[in-house]
Amino acid sequence: MQAMKKIWKFMSSMKFALILLVILAAACSGGSFITQGQSYEWYTSAYSETAAAAIKLLGLDHVFTCWWFIVITVFLCVNLLLCNVLRAPHLVKRFRGMADPAGMLRRRAPGDHTAVAGAEDAQKVFEKMGFRNPKAGTDQEGRAFLYAYRHRAGLWGAWLCHLGILVLIVGFALGQMTKREYTVYGVPGQSRPIGDTHYALSIDSFEIGLRGDDTVEQYTSGLTMYNIDDGSSRSAQVSVNHPATLYGMKLYQNSTGYAADIAVLKDGKEIQRETVCAGEVLEVEDKEGLAIAFMAFYPDYYMDAGTGPMTRSSAMNNPGYLYQAYYQNQIIGMNVLTGEDVITIDEYTVVFSDPQSYTLIQIKQDRFTPMALAGGLIILAGLFLAFYLQSAALLAWEEENGSWRIVGECRKGGALFEERLAECITPERRKPE
Amino acid sequence: MNGYLQVENTLFTAAMVLYFVSMILYFLFFAMRREKAGKAGNIVMSAAFVLHTAALVCRGIGAGRFPLTNQYEFATSFAWGICLVCLIFVWRFRFQALGTFAAPVIFVIIGYAAMQSREVKELMPALRSSWLAFHVSSAIISYGAFGVSFAVSLIFLLRERGKNNAFWESHIPEKNRLDMISYRAVALGFLFLTFVIVTGAIWAEQAWGSYWSWDPKETWSLVTWIIYALYLHLRISRGWRGKSAAIFAVIGFVCVIFTYIGVNTFLPGIHSYA
Ligand code: HEM
Repeated sequence: MQAMKKIWKFMSSMKFALILLVILAAACSGGSFITQGQSYEWYTSAYSETAAAAIKLLGLDHVFTCWWFIVITVFLCVNLLLCNVLRAPHLVKRFRGMADPAGMLRRRAPGDHTAVAGAEDAQKVFEKMGFRNPKAGTDQEGRAFLYAYRHRAGLWGAWLCHLGILVLIVGFALGQMTKREYTVYGVPGQSRPIGDTHYALSIDSFEIGLRGDDTVEQYTSGLTMYNIDDGSSRSAQVSVNHPATLYGMKLYQNSTGYAADIAVLKDGKEIQRETVCAGEVLEVEDKEGLAIAFMAFYPDYYMDAGTGPMTRSSAMNNPGYLYQAYYQNQIIGMNVLTGEDVITIDEYTVVFSDPQSYTLIQIKQDRFTPMALAGGLIILAGLFLAFYLQSAALLAWEEENGSWRIVGECRKGGALFEERLAECITPERRKPE
Repeated sequence: MNGYLQVENTLFTAAMVLYFVSMILYFLFFAMRREKAGKAGNIVMSAAFVLHTAALVCRGIGAGRFPLTNQYEFATSFAWGICLVCLIFVWRFRFQALGTFAAPVIFVIIGYAAMQSREVKELMPALRSSWLAFHVSSAIISYGAFGVSFAVSLIFLLRERGKNNAFWESHIPEKNRLDMISYRAVALGFLFLTFVIVTGAIWAEQAWGSYWSWDPKETWSLVTWIIYALYLHLRISRGWRGKSAAIFAVIGFVCVIFTYIGVNTFLPGIHSYA
């Protein structure tokens, strides 16, 4: 029982929080220095055998998703939750207590505060310090006092900040666990299914807005999403920085690349034609095992002696298509086609034409993004309260000899608050010795 | 080059020269105990700040956009941010000598800016976002505030090491006050750093479809955030005020600088253009 209590106490302590934060900071910096997501062989050649083994063993190749990182984050959440739950009643008490001068009257220490001459001077100090309308009253011994407080809400700053962190982490984690992501790419006129969903995306248009100096100003895709089950559809335009939401999924203009039409001719007659994006492979339907991989495209092609195939500009002055031909997974040919070049394999002729840009659309669904955002905003609100609405209270009371004494409380303002108070009690307000 | 950018060039150089002069004056003030040099240092630094502000405005007009998108623009704004927060703190806490420690930091950073290319380039589509403007301008204030807390903490540590002659007594606040000023600067920086991270996440969500992807720059801003969170908590659990807090503020600023320069230099990531 005793041990349980100890563990409980430790779990909610700030000491534990500090330890967890130090580990998290160290893990994050480690994760940024060690390239993530590589193979054992990669780490062996980048570092050494032992280092690679250690990296794999400790999960340092995927720090941010590995089990111990998650465990520590969970501990941090538990710690935050306990800390906030345990502190809440205490904060409520303090919040309430601030409205009541009794607490401060009880706490005032005898005699060690600068005295001011009279009630009027005390009032002036309140004004100077920015405390309006102090409450007047008499204490148990019948002596008059003035009391005022401000920024009570500030007491909740750190609490709110911690709550925000909790909401943010939980929102992020739920998002990671439930989010779905798909990519669809193609040229205008194409329509493709969206992963395992009951939707398809068709690309209606794709425009690349260029500036005078040939740099890209914007990429814009016109899209229509179809519900395969009920046949309904909805359309939207997306461009970089301007995603759109259709059927609860968010569509992003992600990137672009080149595509071309590939026609397969047999004995001079066209038997197959498809639009293929650079990076894709065309399987020749008529001949099993024969495939043409469209490796890359150069709009203004030239051969550089040092670096190989290159493009001079993005203008379609001299289209060049880099391909590899395969038969039963063996490379049987590789070249760059320009001008009237075609590929000839036995009775087949393969022709590349009509180069154009394809658009790559990223499709995401993360229902918990708003939760994470709310967490972030709560943190900001909490920090503002904690740092810029510092709660403070001021108490003045009459001494037996008719002079007044003033005392202030501002836990966070510390030395600066005291100093300001000392300044406000100017010599003329001070009680003559 | 358009006229505004030419004016900007001249103003920038003038501001840099004045920062240098203020640094020398502060040095005379501090090392040679010349009272007047200290006052002059403050005036020259304020003048440099005015010219620097004008330079940034010209840059913005000349480039036709918010001047916060490449290394040069960010570095010069970073120096401006430190100067802004420094002047505010000098005024708010009547701490003239703060400039002595801030001026070298400002000069080094504006010197770094001077070495960067000043070419105005058109922005890639992802960078054309108003969230970016919020993101980067809050980074300026945040980094500026951390720069000031760094300077104040250095002063604290020097005080800690027994620099307590009459000159220090009359020009440098006592340790409790230094600790408090450093805390105020960290608080300002921390609030703004949080704002930087939140607006950055919103921007990333719109541009890339993912608000947090553990890119090195994101990760390092989080590390910096955690370091300063440690600072704030260590201050609360008593005993740790003062010296340890000051050391943490120094470490925090080293992280800030690393996040700003080191990440681009040593680590790969999508932020490498800014
Ligand atoms: C990344 C995580 C955290 C951040 C960013 C954070 C942030 C803050 C901030 C900004 C303050 C106010 C400091 C001030 O006013 O000077 C604070 C206070 C505090 N924090 Fe945290 N915190 C974190 C985690 C934790 C955890 C896990 C605990 C658990 C014990 C904790 C316990 C406290 C306590 C007890 C206070 C004092 C509250 C007060 O003075 O009213 N913090 N925190």
